[in-house]
Amino acid sequence: MTNRNSYAMRNAALVTGASRGLGKVIATFLARQSYDLVLTARGAAELKEVAGELESYGGRVLALPGDVTEARHRRQLVEAAESLGRLDLLVNNASALGPSPMPALADYPLDELRRVIEVNLVAPVGLVQLALPLLCASRGLVVNISSDAAAGGYEGWGGYGATKSALDLVSRTLANELRGDRVGVVSVDPGDMRTQMHQDAFPGEDISDRPLPEVTLPFWGWLLGQDPLAVSGARFQAQADRWEVPA
Amino acid sequence: MKREELFFERPDSLQATAPPEARGLARDEVRLMVSTAAGHEHTLFRDLPRFLDPGDLLVVNRSATLAASLRAKGPAGAFLLNLATDLGRGLWLAEPRWSESRPGPLPLAPGAVAQAIDVRVHFVTPYPGLPRLWFVRLDGDARAAMACCGRPIRYAYLDRNYALAAYQTLFAAVPGSAEMPSAGRPFTPRVVDALRGRGVELAGVVLHTGVSSLEVEADVVEEHVLSPEPFCVPAGTARAVNAAREAGRRVVAVGTTVVRALESAWDGERVRPSEGMTRIYVHPGRPVHTVDGLLTGFHDPLASHLAMLYAVAGAGRVRSAYAEAVREGYLWHEFGDSHLLLR
Repeated sequence: MTNRNSYAMRNAALVTGASRGLGKVIATFLARQSYDLVLTARGAAELKEVAGELESYGGRVLALPGDVTEARHRRQLVEAAESLGRLDLLVNNASALGPSPMPALADYPLDELRRVIEVNLVAPVGLVQLALPLLCASRGLVVNISSDAAAGGYEGWGGYGATKSALDLVSRTLANELRGDRVGVVSVDPGDMRTQMHQDAFPGEDISDRPLPEVTLPFWGWLLGQDPLAVSGARFQAQADRWEVPA
Repeated sequence: MKREELFFERPDSLQATAPPEARGLARDEVRLMVSTAAGHEHTLFRDLPRFLDPGDLLVVNRSATLAASLRAKGPAGAFLLNLATDLGRGLWLAEPRWSESRPGPLPLAPGAVAQAIDVRVHFVTPYPGLPRLWFVRLDGDARAAMACCGRPIRYAYLDRNYALAAYQTLFAAVPGSAEMPSAGRPFTPRVVDALRGRGVELAGVVLHTGVSSLEVEADVVEEHVLSPEPFCVPAGTARAVNAAREAGRRVVAVGTTVVRALESAWDGERVRPSEGMTRIYVHPGRPVHTVDGLLTGFHDPLASHLAMLYAVAGAGRVRSAYAEAVREGYLWHEFGDSHLLLR
């Protein structure tokens, strides 16, 4: 019997914030499916450890520590993806929560607010701009990690929530603008998870009742099997009990 | 709800070990128990039209069964790979088992590789909360391997293997179920003709079943983890269900899969055309909005589906029906007898 429908062709992904939490879980899931990976995070030691572990699954892993708010670093990441020859998936996961405990907007230090906007909004758009030719050639998918806080209006969540709300609008707009280029764009609210960021949002509180980020794997398994254009423009909740393809 | 509330005694002798055809019966000659507020009636499936009214809407599952069980060989030796759900691009959910009678777990770690026919199987990671289920990446053509060498998934209670045709219902149109949507199995052309003649309407949804071997293990039923299954409620079916509800006509689901598909398409007011994945768990704490009755088989002690039956017809009626079914010797499982529960 011949392999009419071979899946041996390699896929490649770029994941930001990949050294821990949700980003690490996504990167590991992809590595175990033999994706080639470009990974970034600010903590060089942690990132190196993750990359070493993921290399054992056989794909190429290019780990580049750095700050996604720096244009030079973003160029470096996309050049690394170019060296892999394709880019099927860009996961804009790196996020800044802002000061912990989280201040009310009336007291929010504006330099901190600018920093949160740079990480959560400007950097994802910057990466999409640079990666567009590669995404286009691979008919790829952009995933922007959003949050329940995007719609909440919760006290203390104003800085972070505002950037995620803006990122949701960026996702919907890009979905429309890039449809002609056959690039899909989605927003994903992963839900509450037991991560460092969630702990920073609730300093000193016991968050052990929240599930580990692995709880989102069924969603990623499904999303990555979809035609990027079929899901483009949608906002998903990874822990929901149904995920619908937009009509 | 406590797990014990899904338990009842059922002698092993009441498991259907073969299709009714192998027992000398037509498909529509299996028994039918009808449970309503008035009590339980005993009849044959082909008399189903008698219990439905003109204008009632029967919703069936159009999913066809795959030969989803593949013989495989890995580092720990020979095993069965039961393919549960196609997630797309070569990624599947699958249950590796030692054999039909012996479940896992197998000693597997992420990165393990096995061979099933001419398909290379890469074990990616266990399913969170359901460690017997794995994400696997298949390198090769899984559908071709199933067509060539797969068998329908079976468990130890069957006396032998039966051909895939025994696992297809009259309504099967879209291949994708790991296990037969068995509530539709007793339907024959003469039953459908009699239903139409009586003025009963039929409509279809698609829900591709995963594997059923994963019973409730959580102490609290509501915490039971379900794996997602692909579903589609077409526009015509959504319209038919909404029209029946508005006119006060009954909607009867043929199978628990149909309840899950319709409830997944419920937006709080009506059924919308929908397509995607669902792992919605219907239980008494989550009321059923879309159906007034359920035609189904008999479900095992501790099966998660029992909680759905409780949600449709009330725990009391279901428990008394099951006690009656045991007394009257009804047969369980996919080749067994049939049960119509009406609110």
